[in-house]
Amino acid sequence: MRSDSRSARIQALVVEQAARRGARVGVVDVCTAAVAALPVGGAGLSAMSRTTTSHPLCSTDDISEQLEELQLTLGEGPCVDAFTQGSAILTPDLLTGATQDRWPVFADAALEAGARAVFALPLQIGAISPGVLDLYADVPTVLDAEELADALAFADLATLLLLDTRIDETGAPTGGPLPDRGFEDLGGYRPEIDQATGILTVQLGVGIDEAFVRLRAYAYTQGRRLAEVAADVVAHRLRFSPDAEPRQTDEET
Amino acid sequence: MNQQLLAKTFVELADNLVADFDLIDFLRLLTDRCVGMLGASAAGVLLADRDGELRVMAASDEQVRLLELFQLQNDEGPCLECFRTGTPVIVPDLTREVDRWPRFVTAAHRSGFGAVQALPMRLRDEVVGALNLFRAAPGPFDPAATLIAQALADVATISLLQQRTTHRSTVLNEQLQTALNSRVLIEQAKGKLAERQNIDMEQAFTALRGYARAHNRRLSDVARALIDGSEPLPGLVA
Repeated sequence: MRSDSRSARIQALVVEQAARRGARVGVVDVCTAAVAALPVGGAGLSAMSRTTTSHPLCSTDDISEQLEELQLTLGEGPCVDAFTQGSAILTPDLLTGATQDRWPVFADAALEAGARAVFALPLQIGAISPGVLDLYADVPTVLDAEELADALAFADLATLLLLDTRIDETGAPTGGPLPDRGFEDLGGYRPEIDQATGILTVQLGVGIDEAFVRLRAYAYTQGRRLAEVAADVVAHRLRFSPDAEPRQTDEET
Repeated sequence: MNQQLLAKTFVELADNLVADFDLIDFLRLLTDRCVGMLGASAAGVLLADRDGELRVMAASDEQVRLLELFQLQNDEGPCLECFRTGTPVIVPDLTREVDRWPRFVTAAHRSGFGAVQALPMRLRDEVVGALNLFRAAPGPFDPAATLIAQALADVATISLLQQRTTHRSTVLNEQLQTALNSRVLIEQAKGKLAERQNIDMEQAFTALRGYARAHNRRLSDVARALIDGSEPLPGLVA
């Protein structure tokens, strides 16, 4: 379907960066691929949380690194706003009055560091919001509709990659350099995946991030599509439990 | 048509728009009013995402949501045609359109629908989505009701532009991204509430919306509070 074309293209760009590095696909590849594809000078990504400390994960250059650290240290800036508001914060030119009023300390420090435009894209799937992708340009820059759509697709992919690092921690095999299952699910919207994630928070007694990670990890280990597993959970054909393996049941409720 | 109900509906929609509103909640209200006021059996709203692909954003019930999804998956049906041409598609009797949309007509019949009208949501020269009204019984649509339905579709389009935006050319992209995420958030909350209270998804949605209305809160804020467990939410969570 056509809807998959953008995410497929973005995914290919990211895989190519990983291949060049000779490593498994990670969030750093999203950053380098975004810089190559968009009219920006650098990209950085920070893990953000409402409950624990936020920290920078990667950046493509010194300016990006400084921007990430500045925002987390100052507690202000487009990245912080993107996280708290849950929407993209696009700043085509830091050298405007409005921007200076909004982030008095950050705006000057960012200009000093060499940035002129900053675009902060929240990584999110509903209430799951593990971080923010920041892009900067050293000249005033406006992203057109196509470029913004690409940037949002990079952020979507970064979201899954970031959450997948936690699947690795659970020891579940993610199968190859870039697990293809699961990535298709952002193309067509399927409410069952989100409903199942909500259901798992109760069945497992965990937070929403963890519930989503466990759902995906189960799909990987079973070699099944995420949407199918989710549909089973919603239809009560599959139950998760905190201290046992998930159980298939025939019962329909 | 009941004039009083019509006036009340527009007041209600306008009230929503001037307040700090939630797009998904607003679109659902719109589909519900199409059913309650315009004699539709069911209604749905489709919006194009950042790739120009249609997504079901709101539906008055599960049956119509599935039928809308069916159209998208099979790439045929009146709603898609309306979106692609940017003009209303009005089908008083679906049985006459078997050749035009063979799979859709069968699926619609199975869902209990005999007539449909699809109205474009237009913003200047761009078509951003469609409002679809389904009716169980075949027969002509009242032209006056169609005019009002188109006015409702226009109100829905305007609602997309309500929230503050930083750059004009990216208005729709950002709005839709935020709306889609709000939709995801609400589905996650429905799942959690349904599992906890042992109710179905539709009941969970009704409960969430009822709570948001009663407490004058945005639906997505209530959904987030439920997921985070950051508030007691008395009456919603036993």
